[in-house]
Amino acid sequence: MKAVTLEELERFLESVSSEYDVRVPIMLHDGSRTLGRLGEGKLAIRGGKIPFKPTSVFFPQWETMLLVDEEGKIKAANRAGKPIFLLGMTAQDLDCLEFIDKFFSTSFRDDVYFSKRDGAAIVGISGKCGIDGGFMKIAGGKCDLELICEGEEFLVVPYSTKGKELEERIRCAEQDASIDLLKKESDALPDADQDILEKASEMIRSERVPDEFWRDIAARCIVCGSCNFVCPTCTCFEVYDRNRNGLIERQRMWDSCQFDGFMREASGHNPMGTEMSRTRRRIHHKLVADRIRWGHMTCFRCGRCDDVCPTGIGMLAVCKEIVARYG
Amino acid sequence: MIFVIGSNTTEQHPLIGTRILKAVSRGARLIVADNRKIRLARVASLHLREKNGTDVALLNGMMNVIISEGLEDKEFIRTRTEHYEELRKTVEQYKPDVAAQITGLQAGEIIEAARMFARGEKAMVIYCMGITQHTHGVDNVKSCANLAMLTGNVGRPGTGVNPLRGQNNVQGACDVGALPNVFTGYQRVTDADRRAEFEKAWGAKNLPGNVGLTVTTAINAALAGDLKALFVMGENPMMSDPDQKHVKDALSKLDFLVVQDIFPTQTSELADVVLPGACYAEKDGTFTSTERRVQRVRKAVEPPGQSKPDWEILCEIARRAGYDGMRYDSPSDIMDEIARVTPIYGGVSYDRIDQVGLQWPCPKPDHPGTPVLHVGRFTREPGLFSPAEYKAPKELPDEEYPFLLSTGRCYFHFHTGTMTRRSRILEREERFPYVEISVGDAKRLRLVDKQKVLVSTRRGEVQSLARISDVVKEGTLFMTFHFEEACANALTINELDPEAKIPEYKVCAANLRKA
Repeated sequence: MKAVTLEELERFLESVSSEYDVRVPIMLHDGSRTLGRLGEGKLAIRGGKIPFKPTSVFFPQWETMLLVDEEGKIKAANRAGKPIFLLGMTAQDLDCLEFIDKFFSTSFRDDVYFSKRDGAAIVGISGKCGIDGGFMKIAGGKCDLELICEGEEFLVVPYSTKGKELEERIRCAEQDASIDLLKKESDALPDADQDILEKASEMIRSERVPDEFWRDIAARCIVCGSCNFVCPTCTCFEVYDRNRNGLIERQRMWDSCQFDGFMREASGHNPMGTEMSRTRRRIHHKLVADRIRWGHMTCFRCGRCDDVCPTGIGMLAVCKEIVARYG
Repeated sequence: MIFVIGSNTTEQHPLIGTRILKAVSRGARLIVADNRKIRLARVASLHLREKNGTDVALLNGMMNVIISEGLEDKEFIRTRTEHYEELRKTVEQYKPDVAAQITGLQAGEIIEAARMFARGEKAMVIYCMGITQHTHGVDNVKSCANLAMLTGNVGRPGTGVNPLRGQNNVQGACDVGALPNVFTGYQRVTDADRRAEFEKAWGAKNLPGNVGLTVTTAINAALAGDLKALFVMGENPMMSDPDQKHVKDALSKLDFLVVQDIFPTQTSELADVVLPGACYAEKDGTFTSTERRVQRVRKAVEPPGQSKPDWEILCEIARRAGYDGMRYDSPSDIMDEIARVTPIYGGVSYDRIDQVGLQWPCPKPDHPGTPVLHVGRFTREPGLFSPAEYKAPKELPDEEYPFLLSTGRCYFHFHTGTMTRRSRILEREERFPYVEISVGDAKRLRLVDKQKVLVSTRRGEVQSLARISDVVKEGTLFMTFHFEEACANALTINELDPEAKIPEYKVCAANLRKA
């Protein structure tokens, strides 16, 4: 099995940049990491998940969906360009991506989403490149190619036809690396968070969590919407039209179920009219409602909402509190 | 121990609000003194709903309890303060039942608050516009300071008197002398030595030594015909100053009005010249936060059209007005000049604040900045107790105008809405002007939620939607000044604090009826 050094990886990324729009984790000026284009900043693969949700490459905060010209003719927004090459998805991120692929293609196909998603190459990251060298779970699939850090080098594991083609193009010195030890380490990783989510989900379903609990949590919420905006499985958006000198742009922008206007009806009536009900909904939707609709929970424990919530009421924190108080 | 008075912290300073929420989760005690049932009150150990404008009586009442129960910090008072005897004599009159009568609180609530604050190992006071926007705003602030000094809660982490500034860079604007009485770093223009230094630094002669006009007194002077021209930058006094009709009359009387802003405003409609400024994302510079931290802001996109960063506009005007001294290559150059002429910014440079900002005073290039003020020593040592007597607001409810109207902001809009009402989702969250009214008053007036109502004062009348809730107490109304279609400042009173010249936005008498 191939294993690449960072230098070899960078050379490879440069070599694919002629046919792909390459997005990689980069270091920002203040020392934090984000997704950027190759060359926009120093490559920063190590350090765990990218704080900003990587699925935003396909479902950005804000985008134009279509244009209507002065004669009333509708045309799709210009989405020409190279296909996306996305490097930096963790195992949890890949679960999230798999889900939103399903979400955006069920009932009808969201062609705005798939205009970017189709043809994209997805590269997962795992192994010993988490925060402070911590071990990140190996995905073992759900992407074209996975880079598994064994310390200095990254093992190259292709899963799809596209992944195999890409793997063949990687030039590196090490050709005989073994994945066995890393796999063992990955399999031995504890998944206590999953157990807590399962327990909380079960308790909400069996109505063992009273309204009083949600009122308590709502009292600690400042309605910033961050939990939604960093969540890779949050797919809600607001649609609006903007008139630019006669050319109408229909746009969409991320929305948050924590806002009053999210479900408010034109009459002013709001079926989710209290912060308590909206707070409950945030958790209930992912742990219970989606489980009924899709057969599984739609929180994959990436931990971003817990990282960003300024008052400490992200998904895992709330579930821990449910289990502690009512379990 | 955190004592929040006159600050809707989670909504108006959410980052600081979240730190309070987290501290409460970790076991900190929280007292909220606010007539409205604000968000933060939900997690408070004690919520004091004193009558609007009675804060001096509340604070004096608390200090009365602290002294009569011997909870004051005697060592701190002896070594770090003076005029304690004057304070003691003043607050002696504010026994809990007296303070209770003025504030409308129970005497027991005042006693509990006093004990809770004084017994905290570390206790901090956090205040905002609910304290300052009164005709006795300065007295309110002094009383907060008295309480902190009385209990020795100054100069240590987790203590102090913490004013939350009302805008992102109001601290920075004041620091660099956008005030009528000082040069940069609060150096007084009346001080001849300071003037001589600035004359030398700027190559200028005869810098004026008289104190200028404040924002509010300038409007009054315009109406009186004493002020002929006004240059307004990034403000919208037509919406944000008290008594809108008065402001409009005053601005219309000017010979020349210049407005520099990033969007058209109600004020720019009256302007002779409008100068398009660049917004925060279109310029380099610094903002100084409410914790005195000088922080970089970086240009992400080019300013559109003819707009320019504010400093370029000002330098260009200075050049055309015949002054050649304002030539800078970049905002970093300007910071170097600020550092040269401003002792508290003496050690600040763009190199040093590249990643993390510095808190002033930072007098030297190797000074680490000052996170906590007054450690071991006040600027004026010893610290001076400044006792204040309770004074009623200028206009209280009467038969004709039976409600007390208070004004402020809501969570989703900022100030006069110039920016936030142009933001799709923020505007969706709060689309219409509203007036908060208590459940009891609404019932008495037979109002239903979201019903159109007319709110009037001696200054004017606006149409708004009733928002019936338990946020306001009976007899009180609350409105925001975000909405030009029903601006709260068409109703507010142009009465000022005699010293700070801040208007009494928080109290006036109003009436309300169905539209």
